[in-house]
Amino acid sequence: MKTTILNGGLAGDRFTDHMQHLLQAELSDNGGDATVWTLRDEKIAYCLGCFDCWTKTPGICRIDDAGRDVAASIIASDLVVFLTPVTFGGYSSELKKAVDRSICLISPFFTRIDGEVHHQRRYDHYPAMLAIGILPEQNPEQEAIFTTLVERHAINLHAPQHAAVVVMRSQDEQTLRSVLHAALPARETERQ
Amino acid sequence: MNAPKNALLLIGSAKKPGASASEALGGYLVRQLAARGQASETRYVARTMRSESRIGELLAAVERADVFVLAFPLYVDSLPYLVTKALERIAESRQGQSAEGAAQFVAIVNSGFPEAVHNQTALAICRQFAKEAGFRWAGGLALGGGAPFSGKPLEEAGGMAHKVIAALDTAAAALALGQPIPDEAVAALANPVMSPRFYTLMGGMGWRLEGLRNGVYRQLRARPFAS
Repeated sequence: MKTTILNGGLAGDRFTDHMQHLLQAELSDNGGDATVWTLRDEKIAYCLGCFDCWTKTPGICRIDDAGRDVAASIIASDLVVFLTPVTFGGYSSELKKAVDRSICLISPFFTRIDGEVHHQRRYDHYPAMLAIGILPEQNPEQEAIFTTLVERHAINLHAPQHAAVVVMRSQDEQTLRSVLHAALPARETERQ
Repeated sequence: MNAPKNALLLIGSAKKPGASASEALGGYLVRQLAARGQASETRYVARTMRSESRIGELLAAVERADVFVLAFPLYVDSLPYLVTKALERIAESRQGQSAEGAAQFVAIVNSGFPEAVHNQTALAICRQFAKEAGFRWAGGLALGGGAPFSGKPLEEAGGMAHKVIAALDTAAAALALGQPIPDEAVAALANPVMSPRFYTLMGGMGWRLEGLRNGVYRQLRARPFAS
């Protein structure tokens, strides 16, 4: 199973890096192969909202930087993991910078999903999606927002499966390992 | 409660000044507050986040404001990167501040989908930001199909803008009194500007025309990363 991990930790966030290493170990135990993007270390420009990736250079962002490579890595994977501090219930800025640049992976044309208008898929295969949110302590409001965001994002990324989990910085390592182990049901997913 | 005196508008679009639907919507609301006697100031997130000195100016403007209006486009189900970054910085600078007697915070989000429901998660994030950064949440306004309002003041957008203007007028009247945005303004703005069927038909034609104009009509469904 090919996995892309997007580490959205902000500068100095050692816990998110620690979670990334635990995740890699869990994936490795399952014979997986993970490409890790520590987004704060990458040169990724912000999305300009120009839609050139739909109407001028279809399927690829006009900005030639690591944002392109991250998008390519996502679509080539069976599983994409968004690892992020939960920020007001949403993704961190570092993760959002890369996620915004991924709209080249879908089509500008519209379709209906569960009665709502969404964009059509561009590719035949999309990765399953796992989002791991990190909070200092339990916060049901933020957890609910995060879970909804991941559900909505999964629809728009055409993810065949998705899951959202939230861990606390105060949790011990054994608990964190257990959470990760349980959160990887998509590990059996193979690219068809 | 004293009437608010200063309004700050932060434009969350990365487009150049004057070009975005976010500016059309937020600009109209703030002009209505100015007409009711409030001083107003507008800042653009794309310019602001380029330098620490401009970020410092934004943080100072936030502290001066009695009404803080954030207008932004929906990017992948939530706030764009630049807006997220700006809110992280604002929340960091206001750690420990209480919402009691604090500025009102208003969010206006528009998306390229005809239904306003796509914006709800972004508004929930904004509300959570208000709580964490010590603002009084005055409400969120969500508009679906915002693209036709890009690039010109709402007053010049024709008949399609009438109900948007009416909703923003209602919102401005409440905000000028220090009150939250009435539910009827939220509901009025959330009504689709055009039917989803018509919007998607026109949208599809628009993408094809753009492709034709750019000489990539046959490549619009290209898969450059296909293995």
